[in-house]
Amino acid sequence: MAALRVIKRDEPWKGGALVIVLGALAFSLAAAILMLAAQGKSPLLGAQVLWQGTFGHLFALEDALRKAVPIFLCSLGVAVAFRMQVWNIGAEGQFALGAIAATWAALTFPGLPKILLLSFMFLAALAAGGFWAFIPAWLKLRFKVNEIITTLMLNYIAILLLDYLVFGVWKDPSSFGFPMTPEFGPNAILGPIGGTRLHWGLAVCAVAGVGFWAFFRFTILGYELKAGGEGARVARYAGLRYGFLVAFVMIASGALAGLAGCVETSASLGRLQPSIMTGYGYTAIVVAWLARLEPLPIALASFLLALLRVGVENLQLEMQIPAAYGSIMEGLILLTVLAGQFFQTYRLEWRRGE
Amino acid sequence: MELEIVVALLAAAVQSGTPVLFATLGEMLSEKGGVLNLGVEGMMSVAALAAFLTSSFTGSPWLGFLAGGLAGAALATLHGVVCVGFLGNQVVSGLALTILGLGLTHFFGTPYIGLAAPGFSKFAVPVLGDLPGLGPILFRQDALVYLSYVLPLLFWFVMRRTSLGLAVTATGEMPAAAAAAGLKPLRLRYLAAVGGGFLVGLGGAYLSLAYTHLWTNGLSAGRGWIAVALVIFAFWRPGRAVVGAYLFGGVMAFQLRLQATGTNLPSSLLLMLPYALTVIVLVLSAWRGQGTDAPAALGVNIEPEG
Amino acid sequence: MDQLPARPPRLALPDAEPVVALRGLTKRFGKITANDAITLEIRPGRIKALLGENGAGKSTLMSMLAGRLAPDGGRIEVDGREVRFTSAREAIEAGIGMVYQNFMLVNAMTVTENVLLGQEKGFFIRPRDMERRVAELAARYHLDIDPAARVGDLSMGEKQRVEILKLLARESRVLIFDEPTAVLTPEETFRLFEALWSMTSQGKAVVFISHKLEEVLAIADEIAILRAGRVEAELTPEEIGSKADLARIMVGKDVLLEVDHEAAELRETVLEVRNLTGLGLSGVSLDLRRGEVLAVVGVAGNGQKALVEAVCGLIQPPRDTVFILDKPWREYYADPDWKHTLSYIPEDRLGLATMPNKNLVDNMLLTTRKGFKAGPLLQKARAVADTRELVRKFNIKPGRVRVLAWQLSGGNLQKAVLARELYREPKLIVAEQPTQGLDVAATEEVWRRLLDARDMAGILLVTGDLNEALQLADRVAVMYRGRIVETFPVTDKDKVDKIGLFMAGVTDS
Repeated sequence: MAALRVIKRDEPWKGGALVIVLGALAFSLAAAILMLAAQGKSPLLGAQVLWQGTFGHLFALEDALRKAVPIFLCSLGVAVAFRMQVWNIGAEGQFALGAIAATWAALTFPGLPKILLLSFMFLAALAAGGFWAFIPAWLKLRFKVNEIITTLMLNYIAILLLDYLVFGVWKDPSSFGFPMTPEFGPNAILGPIGGTRLHWGLAVCAVAGVGFWAFFRFTILGYELKAGGEGARVARYAGLRYGFLVAFVMIASGALAGLAGCVETSASLGRLQPSIMTGYGYTAIVVAWLARLEPLPIALASFLLALLRVGVENLQLEMQIPAAYGSIMEGLILLTVLAGQFFQTYRLEWRRGE
Repeated sequence: MELEIVVALLAAAVQSGTPVLFATLGEMLSEKGGVLNLGVEGMMSVAALAAFLTSSFTGSPWLGFLAGGLAGAALATLHGVVCVGFLGNQVVSGLALTILGLGLTHFFGTPYIGLAAPGFSKFAVPVLGDLPGLGPILFRQDALVYLSYVLPLLFWFVMRRTSLGLAVTATGEMPAAAAAAGLKPLRLRYLAAVGGGFLVGLGGAYLSLAYTHLWTNGLSAGRGWIAVALVIFAFWRPGRAVVGAYLFGGVMAFQLRLQATGTNLPSSLLLMLPYALTVIVLVLSAWRGQGTDAPAALGVNIEPEG
Repeated sequence: MDQLPARPPRLALPDAEPVVALRGLTKRFGKITANDAITLEIRPGRIKALLGENGAGKSTLMSMLAGRLAPDGGRIEVDGREVRFTSAREAIEAGIGMVYQNFMLVNAMTVTENVLLGQEKGFFIRPRDMERRVAELAARYHLDIDPAARVGDLSMGEKQRVEILKLLARESRVLIFDEPTAVLTPEETFRLFEALWSMTSQGKAVVFISHKLEEVLAIADEIAILRAGRVEAELTPEEIGSKADLARIMVGKDVLLEVDHEAAELRETVLEVRNLTGLGLSGVSLDLRRGEVLAVVGVAGNGQKALVEAVCGLIQPPRDTVFILDKPWREYYADPDWKHTLSYIPEDRLGLATMPNKNLVDNMLLTTRKGFKAGPLLQKARAVADTRELVRKFNIKPGRVRVLAWQLSGGNLQKAVLARELYREPKLIVAEQPTQGLDVAATEEVWRRLLDARDMAGILLVTGDLNEALQLADRVAVMYRGRIVETFPVTDKDKVDKIGLFMAGVTDS
């Protein structure tokens, strides 16, 4: 009697990661496109619009690069934490706190020279994001509270905080009731690169990415963080300061997300408004997992998912499809990748019975 | 006069806590079998929509209620396949499910915003409904609330007094032991996950059929996450889940009333209450808990035999 | 072991037909033939001991009988009819059950729930009825256990009884025990033997796998000796002249594994434990000097784990009880050096000593990372080179450094851990069950390395293998119920003979 048997591979399948991701993308896109039919829209048209929206114009590519910046930075943060098996789901909230801190700096010290002001905004955002992540870290270390839910709850609280500020004390009196802060002065804006629509946030990304890679490759602390992912017992055996490592990783993670918030506020919008929260923090988790927590793949995956967002925007424009459609695709992609990763460790074989 | 307000608040607490109770028990069932499902928020959302649409098209709220449960079960099956079948990381899979679920809800639900569907209305239980105090709080609710009174007892009974419940518990604690006893841990995990998903879906259905009768976006408002936290708070026992669910129901009801009566507190800050309370509740639970209440194999996938 | 009970007179059972017969059973793993055409008969009412050294093929044989492995040749007969098992479940249904060394018990559930798991008749369960059933079953076979107790609270002996009850509840006719006394105190061993006699007097057949000669002589009705995959001999206890005879048949020479060593030069004290009370220990005192091996022996579960964890920094002992390299525990563990200090080789190789999913370089750095420090940076290239050198020197297969820890065999993994810890040139080595599960060749190699390490370190050897202790140690400390009951040099023949008694808590003083 023949049966399908599951065999553990002797060595993990090296090329598998790419195959799996591409396969997952293809599958998820196809499934999502077909879903359009359920809403009475033509899947064929949808595919066309999506394609046009992503690869149709140079515009789209530029747009994708802009969107990729916050996704990339948040994703680096997520990856730092996940490498140590610390589940930071709070990138969204840490992003918000970074945006808030940057806005505070921009609105309070508009007269500072540009370099000083921008540096100050960056620092404030790093600190705020790091602080917001430190709270769940402290709760985890001191009270053994699971960080998944605490980081998540803080997301909701952070968004409400942002709403509160933008509807309240920071509201622009000249905005006709729309919830937004006044525009930032020119010294608080991270400007565009040359004549393009790209902005210097890309440089920030490059620096952060290289820093991430170098940190984990060359430093002892980077090694300790990798080892710390095995758990508290192994940490004790190896003499690692587990508590310190958890706190460090969370603060770094939050700081990166906060930085993303600052860059997005300053370079993309030029003011703070609730619409800045488009779920970059959650997309970052999808990206980080797809990219197996490595910086170069994270860059690629960030760009890819940003492209997707741009395409979805086009769908919104042309076919009145709500923006949430992108979430469907992201969710499907992540699920299929998770399932596909099975094949990196196992393979199937037809085994004949006795 | 004061008493009336308190009674009204408590009655609202029960109503508001009911969807959370369904969801908490659903997640608890899944976790008892060893499957951590963080997709509750997405599942409740999709279930609410499915229930709303079904009730709208068939005219029967009960069919809608059932549809909600099935929608929850369907999403839980997806999660089950990824984790139990393909050994995917349970934490990440649940998150993906939430992202997917919320997306599906917005995508399919937007055309129906503001529309109403046949739902469940309150009615008084004869005799019991007239009791002073308890009457209006517990016995002047809708049919689903009355159903939810039975649920924790049913949960306890099935888990502790049936062979199936014992089998599920063994699977969540030590799948190898279950296998050695001749049980099939993989199937039991699917059962727990899908069954739990069904209950979660019922909770979602409540939101669109009884809590309100209109469709809006963001109906779940984080209740799914609160349910996950409440399972921990309840030390995986149904009795405490009731306490937790009504506690949160009370906070949400209180917050609504406060907003309605017009206070100086900005609404954003008020809305933070449930989330902040969740964090506090988790800290207290971790502080007081043994740490050994969680099913031992929770979140750990069952590797195939070599 | 003088206190093992004498066997009660055997029931004069007529020579019954065998319940289970193995005829020419063969099993191969690649090029290795683990079992070579083995023929055995298992009769009701008899205790058959399966004796042999590690790697002789006992566990493989029983795994086939219990349905966990499929034979490559030969057949299994139950009641004269051939059977083929494709799962353990089928074997259980045929009446054959195995009590494993790793208990398959759910700690959070009660004894009754564990025993009757998967066995309940019908959908609803009535705890009281079930408890009564379990109590009756336990009484019938002399198994002392509280049916309502939570399994997580039980001792090893009690947990084993639950495992036995599981098989009895399924009306198993053949019960196979795999090294059951490894985790039992002498009292519990006695109780187990009583239970086994009770079971056989009621018609059950028992197969008892062991490598302990005294126990086999005490309990068995028939003894089958396995060597290198074949049945070397089948005897009854009356036919055996002495333990030496038995040992000879087992291994083909008089003594099993022996290692020559001379005493090394003794230097300063590196470990001092003064009257350590707490953590399950009571008044434990010992000292260890560089150049000597102190073996801590005793039945598992008598406090060795707590002692090791306290000394190695995994749990904190009370003040002023543990002194490492002349520093109080607190001070030492506040900021330990990486070199010339304490090295811990734990029992848990994969999962504590190493990171399963990381390669050998990363694993090597786990405890040596400070040696590759250049400011905040890691000297990766040097680490890779040094790891390669260690792999070569210690002959760790496969010979690449990029291989992941889980891909290594037990012996190679242990060599890797040893290589890493010796690289640190420790002054104090704590080695816990260092050769558990290793074959003879690997064991000899590990023993050699440890003995050579005496040049630089004092070695605290915690082991359940008496032979290992006696071969390697200069002094022996016996633990019982959290106390050290005796400490003596290995040259004291009188005390060495009484080790079994000491392990049972019977002291000279």
